[in-house]
Amino acid sequence: MTATPPKANCTIFVVDDDTSFLRSLSRLLSATGYAVEAYTSAADFLNRPLPERSGCVVADLQMPGINGLQLQESLRKSNHPLPVIFLTGQGDIPTTVSAMRSGAEDFLTKLAPKEELLAAVERALERDARERSQRHRQRELKQRFEGLSQREREVLSHVVQGKMNKEIADALNINLRTVKLHRTNITRKLGVQSVAELTRLADETGMFADGTYPKGH
Amino acid sequence: MVRACLVAFWALTLLGALSPQARAQSNLVRMAPARRVLFMFSESRDLPGNVSMEQSVRAEIMRHYNRAEFYIESLDAGHFPTAEHYQLFGNYVQSKYAGQKLDLVIMFLGRDFDLGREMLAKSLPDVPAIFVVVNNLAPATVPENRNFTALFQRFDVPGTVRFIQQLQPETRRVIVLGGTSPSDRALLAEIRETARSVENLTFEYWTNQPLAQIRAGTRKLPPDTVIFLSTTQRDAAGDPINTAQVARLLVPTANAPIYVMSGGSIGTGTLGGSVLDFENLGQRAGSMAVQALGGKRVGQIPIEIRSNGVPVVDWRELQRWHLRSSRLPVDCELRYEPHTVWGVHWRLILLLSGGFLAQAVTIAALLIQRRRQQRAEAEILRQRAELAHVSRVSMMGQLASALTHELNQPLGAILRNAEAAEVFLQANQPNLAELRAILTDIRRDDKRAGDVIDRMRSLFKRQRLTSDAIDLRDLVDDTIAMARPDAEKRRVRLKLEVTPHLPPAQGDRVHIQQVLLNLILNGMDAMNNVPKSRRSLVVRVEETKSGNLQVSVTDGGLGIDADHATHVFEPFFTTKSNGMGMGLAISKTIMEALGGEIWMDSRGTDGTTFTFLLPPAGQERIRSGDLPAAL
Repeated sequence: MTATPPKANCTIFVVDDDTSFLRSLSRLLSATGYAVEAYTSAADFLNRPLPERSGCVVADLQMPGINGLQLQESLRKSNHPLPVIFLTGQGDIPTTVSAMRSGAEDFLTKLAPKEELLAAVERALERDARERSQRHRQRELKQRFEGLSQREREVLSHVVQGKMNKEIADALNINLRTVKLHRTNITRKLGVQSVAELTRLADETGMFADGTYPKGH
Repeated sequence: MVRACLVAFWALTLLGALSPQARAQSNLVRMAPARRVLFMFSESRDLPGNVSMEQSVRAEIMRHYNRAEFYIESLDAGHFPTAEHYQLFGNYVQSKYAGQKLDLVIMFLGRDFDLGREMLAKSLPDVPAIFVVVNNLAPATVPENRNFTALFQRFDVPGTVRFIQQLQPETRRVIVLGGTSPSDRALLAEIRETARSVENLTFEYWTNQPLAQIRAGTRKLPPDTVIFLSTTQRDAAGDPINTAQVARLLVPTANAPIYVMSGGSIGTGTLGGSVLDFENLGQRAGSMAVQALGGKRVGQIPIEIRSNGVPVVDWRELQRWHLRSSRLPVDCELRYEPHTVWGVHWRLILLLSGGFLAQAVTIAALLIQRRRQQRAEAEILRQRAELAHVSRVSMMGQLASALTHELNQPLGAILRNAEAAEVFLQANQPNLAELRAILTDIRRDDKRAGDVIDRMRSLFKRQRLTSDAIDLRDLVDDTIAMARPDAEKRRVRLKLEVTPHLPPAQGDRVHIQQVLLNLILNGMDAMNNVPKSRRSLVVRVEETKSGNLQVSVTDGGLGIDADHATHVFEPFFTTKSNGMGMGLAISKTIMEALGGEIWMDSRGTDGTTFTFLLPPAGQERIRSGDLPAAL
């Protein structure tokens, strides 16, 4: 597991239309040691290009314009998803369920004690760090896979399906020696030792058996 | 054994011969052999007139001769009017009754007397005959040495015209309808003859028109017009049809009363007239028959010609045409008048009820006095308890839930600021400027919370009811407009039925609107679980008979359980998961304060109607007389 980065390296984005509450919360979070950015509407926050750094969002659930749930939805679809903690003046069950189902990190009332709030922020940051490193590793692996030639990918797709060299040579109508050469290149380029490891990697990056990737990766 | 049987047989035979009953029976058989009477009808036997004549004749004969045998034949000249058919029928009768030893033949003729007499003279020459002739044909010639007698009954034309003038003196036009057979024409000719001497009345003869055309024409007759339906054996097209059938055809669509002369048409929807009394005619024919059967020669029984009619009116038609019964002739017979127990015994009922009532009132008054006192005390206690409950739950429930969100904002801000201040204070050198800013913010948020509470409190201040003349149409339109977006979202059709030219009601517009909106929203809630096709809500506004204004809201929901029905207006009664149970209770309070009333009718699973009544403008309370019995 990746360790949580130091507090100062994390930014807490606070979104609330009530300026008084927004100020008090920002004050508490920066006093605790976090970098804080405050926004009075979800639109303002979403319009700002997000830096590639870890953090989380603390948002009011009931806001005019884009509300908390819509904000979470937009974030989830973006390139830089961030965990969201919801705050509400008056929590009702249907909204809570809906928020948790779409992946809210936490759901707190505005009168929740500081300890609960800070614990929720810590959990959100941990999750962000975890997801971030996962995303990082996937991107790296994908880059490595993309270094393979067209023919090497074809060979790879057969290897992951567990086929013998002879079968691969017949299927692709090439020399057995050429197949062996491709396999050596593949393991070198991807930095793996065994077929098992190779399969696991292909699985992790979401590569299909035909050597392509799902759209959007 | 054989001897014993023989003895018993003789004993029984002797006993039987000696018993007085058996003796009487044997005397009777000897004294009165069965009389054989043939009834012969020129028309269908089922015609109402024929049925009542036959019954009267039979009854008259049976009064004198308890052993008589009746034979029935029908010539059916309606369908077969030709001379050949008369001949054929005569031959048939002749062969059929050759050995039957008939004592008498009674022929009921609605047609030409001579044709019938000739037929009978040929087929049953030796049987004495009585002819009952019902038509207005010219009187027949009678031979000197006759073996028959006759009763000529004519329809009462002048009597019926007088009847029309007496019952409807405003009449200016008489539409005459009638058939095309020779008998029909003879009667029409007599109507024309009578009409000539009648002043102030125009007679129009629609006698050559097809029935469909007559039917269309009688749909929209001008006022002061009546229909005079003469007899009908055949219509303009030459097809057989009887008078009662024509009457039944015209009654549903005709816009003027129909007068008739034939008693058989009374009861088909015609009004009345000076009608032929078939029962009386039958009795007369019956007494002639009794004379003939008693041995008198029919040729010696004098021939009778009658043209009397009996004024008869159908009571139901009299009501339908709004005619005054005071204008009826004194001897007029009212048919189909409902005979109620009240109508027969009203004096006795009044007397008895009066006695009972006086007694009951005294007892009831004493009981009520006692009960009222007890109930008033109980009611006060109950209301007090309910009120206490209202305020307690309001504070904790409605008020609290409305205030939570508003208050949590400033309170949350105060909490976060206080927590931040604690963090700052832990530093070696606390940032005093920051702490000062925090305290300022806390103070401001505290005031904000106080303002929220003040604002809420002002909302709960008692609002005074006003009382004005209210245009309900306008009010309902506005309220429906408010509910429409919600209705569209829930796929509920809103229907509005308002009586035009509604007088204004007395009340407080805002509060009435609140009640109506509440009923509409409740109605929509009630239809959440029914198919879309049933989701319609009807708002009906009308003026009641007593002059109150009534608004009702009917939903297509699944109704209210009988257990619940009595509680719906009580505070905190609700069937909704998110309901407070205050809507209907508040509505009832408002209605009572406005001098109105509100109630509910549940039609089981066919939905529910909530209705409220408001007094008309200028009145403080609703007028009595409109409330359902349960209230």
